[in-house]
Parts: sequence; structure tokens; C-alpha cells
Amino acid sequence: MGGITFDFAGVLTGQPGQWLLAGFLMTVYVTIAGSLVATLLAVLVLGLRVAPVAPLRWLAIAVIEVFRNTPVLVQFLFWYFAAYNLLPQAFRSYITGDHPWAVLPVSNVLLAPEFIASAWGLGVFTAAFLAEELRAGLNAMPSGQREAAISQGFSYGATLRLILLPQALANSWQPLVTQYLNLMKLSSLASAISLAELTYQVRQIESFNAHAFEAFAVGTVLYLLLGLVLGQALVAFGPKPADRRGSAPAAAAVQIAEAHGGA
Amino acid sequence: MSDAPLIEFKGVEKWHGSLHVLKGIDLKIGRGEALAITGPSGSGKSTLIRLVNRLETISKGEISIDGVPTAGFTGRRLRELRTEIGFVFQQFNLYGHLNALDNVSLALRKVRGVPRGKAEARARELLHRVGLADKAHHFPSQLSGGQQQRVAIARALATEPKIVLFDEPTSALDPEMIGEVLSVIRELPKAGITILVVTHEMSFAREVADRVAFIDGGVILELDTPQKFFGAPTHPRTRRFLQQLLSPLAVGEA
Repeated sequence: MGGITFDFAGVLTGQPGQWLLAGFLMTVYVTIAGSLVATLLAVLVLGLRVAPVAPLRWLAIAVIEVFRNTPVLVQFLFWYFAAYNLLPQAFRSYITGDHPWAVLPVSNVLLAPEFIASAWGLGVFTAAFLAEELRAGLNAMPSGQREAAISQGFSYGATLRLILLPQALANSWQPLVTQYLNLMKLSSLASAISLAELTYQVRQIESFNAHAFEAFAVGTVLYLLLGLVLGQALVAFGPKPADRRGSAPAAAAVQIAEAHGGA
Repeated sequence: MSDAPLIEFKGVEKWHGSLHVLKGIDLKIGRGEALAITGPSGSGKSTLIRLVNRLETISKGEISIDGVPTAGFTGRRLRELRTEIGFVFQQFNLYGHLNALDNVSLALRKVRGVPRGKAEARARELLHRVGLADKAHHFPSQLSGGQQQRVAIARALATEPKIVLFDEPTSALDPEMIGEVLSVIRELPKAGITILVVTHEMSFAREVADRVAFIDGGVILELDTPQKFFGAPTHPRTRRFLQQLLSPLAVGEA
């Protein structure tokens, strides 16, 4: 007696187990929804950021700087407590109404203010970073690519869409994946606006049966697994830089290692 | 030839900030002509051809193509002009994410609106013409420099331009690959295409060019047929330049 004992059954079974599963799935849902929002907004913001019209670029810079340089938690609070209430009453009534089609396993309601504010908040915050990563990728492109496109009569938009962006996307894919992983991890802060995701549920278990260590340990492992799977999947299915096509991905690293006398 | 020049430079000036790159260029280039442009680095010879397809804009003077001044062209009209002028770069500048076939066919499809099947058939024909029919599905990173430059020439020919501009097309190549690229270029005038080639390949200038221009300090110092240009250059700077190219080691002794 007196030693520390762990009771993982106390968090993995019964009501706590249900909460964990529901919370984990909610984290997955909000990550997917937030990533979609982030991707669409990033394309929009990037388009403005590199537009040939200066006021559009200024607008994009302002948006990027505001959302990159304020805490995402504050942004969640803003969207949920302030901005949401500015939406039309009819829209809000619709959101809070009963929509069986918007309920995903396990009892996770997607058409709810908490989910919408969280997915939107994660999306806007991450879009600012995605747009900047993509712009860095664009800036890193040799000017010859742009010149070749111009000399062939491509318009500004077509040059971006057909020639520069596909390559920038491939070149900056690693940092972009990091941003999507950050989005997944930052979804834990949505517990502050009562989104019943993994962190929220873990804390609920802690106050339910005081299995704090077990609950946080399981929660941490679930985040880790989700992050590993998501990261691997994004790298595996993502675009590959052209200079790595047809050769082993690690060829450059091996060459550097050999140059330094390594294996 | 008696008809009007295809390209005409009239008093063309180009400034890069405070740097006077081209100083009053007057030059007429006929239909189907092959003009070689040579001169020391920084002489303005690349700028000269980059003005023709408006990769750079002239500061003063006028460049006409088919008798029409191009300086006022914007938007669609400018893009149309560019599809009528091929450009081949020193560093090839093939689109890195596309294979050879797509590199050649992209502008046909997306600028000219040619359906994919037709555009690819044309691209295959061009790749065949530059001797790379078997490399259609290779990416630029899988091709040698000479092969990349030949794909770039096929790409420049895709929209059936009447003019093709070459900016030191062999300067980035290993010596053994220069021949394969030059032999592709020399076929173009035979097909009625006007070519302006900025080059240091004097044997190419001698054999292929109708005229050779020597530019130094933003001025055309010499412009003549290869026989006269190489046989009896009039300007002392041209003589010195040719001497340097022919026997680089002898210069210090002169």
C-alpha cells in the first residue's frame, strides 16, 4: 500500500472511454474542417498577397499580420463570443436547430456554434501561415521560370497557376505539413470555447474520477498517434519536388553525408 | 531582299537605372535572316534581344515587328506578340514540374487553346525534330544540359513563331553537347524562321549566320556578312575581341 498505482481501465472503459472516443473523433473532425477552411483561405490570401494591385497586397499583408501575431486562443474567444453574435439571427437559429445529418459518430454535433467558431478560427489562423510559406516557396523559384512563362505568352494568373504555384507547393510542402500538424495540435485550445474535443474530454474525465495522470497520458498518446499518421499521410500523398522525381528521396542527404566522410 | 524588314530597331535606347545599356541602336533584320550577335559580357547584347519580345521595355526609340511598333502593346495583344516570338534561354528554364512533352505542349494548350490531343501530337513531332522523341516523358532533371536545351528549342517552336531569339544558348553546356544544340538551331532559317542568336560560338556565326553583329558598350560597332566580319573587321575593338576569342593566351603578349 501507499505506492502509486495506475488504473487505465478507469479511463478506457465505460463513460470515460466513450468521452475519450468522442473527443478524439471531434479532434479529427475539427482538424479536417479547419484544414479545408485554411487551405481555401490560404489560396485566397496568397492571391491577394501577390496581386499586381498594391491595395490588394496591403489588405493581404494586414490580414496575415493580424492573424499571425495574435494568440489563437484570443482569436477563438473573439470568433465565439464576439463575431458569432454579429451573424444574422436567422442563420444562428438555423445553426442551433436540430440537424440529424450534421451529427457524426460519436454524438458529435458539427452544426453548432462551438464547432463552427473552432474550425473557422483554426482555418483563419493557419491560412495566414500557409500563405506565407507558399509565398516563400514562390520567392525561392528561379526567375527563369517566370521569364520562360512570360516569353511564351502566359498571363500573370496563368503563370502563377500553371507554372509557379505547382512548383512552390512541392518545394514548400514540408513546412506546409508542419502548419497542418500545428492546426491539429492547436485544436486543443478550442476546449476553451467548449468544443468537446480530446482535451476537453480528458479534463472532463479528470474531474469525473480524478484519473488525471491516466487521462492525460492517453490523451497525449492519441495526439501523438494522430500527428504521426497525419504527418506521414500528408508527406506520402503530397506533391514531390521535381528534382527528387526518379531518384531516391534521400539522395541529397546521402550525398552530403558522404561528402562529410559519413556512411 | 526588297521587302520591308521583319524587325526594325530605330534609335533604341535602354537604361537600367543610371546605367546606359544600349545607346541608339539602328538595326533592320529581314524575313528568314539569321543574325549572330556577339560582344564582350555586359555589352548589351542580351538586352538587345530581350527587348524584341518585351521581356524588357525600351527607354527610348522604337522597335517594330512587321512594320508595327510594339512599345504600346499591353495585355492580350502583348501576349499574342510573345507567342509569335520564341525565346531560348542560356539556362534552358524548362518548367521543372513538367516532363518534356508537357513543357512543349503547355503553351499550345493554355495560351493558344489547342486541344490536348492535337497539342501533344505537335509536341511529339517537335521532340522528334530535335532528336528527343524517346525522352517525351522525362523530366528536366533527368535530361542532360544539351537535351534540356533541345527540349527548350522545341518548346520555343511550339506556337510556330516567325522569330526565335537565342540568349547564349550553348554557354551553359559542356563542350561535347554544344554541337547537338547548334545543329538543331541551324535548321531553323531553312524553315523560314528568323533567328537572332547571342553567341560566342564563332564557328557557328561563320557557318550559319547571314550577318554578324558586334556590340560593345551598348553600340553596334560592326555589322556585316561572316566573310567580311571575320576576314576584314574594320573596327579595332572587333579585331581585338576576335583575337581574344581565337587565341585567349596571346592577348597578354600583344
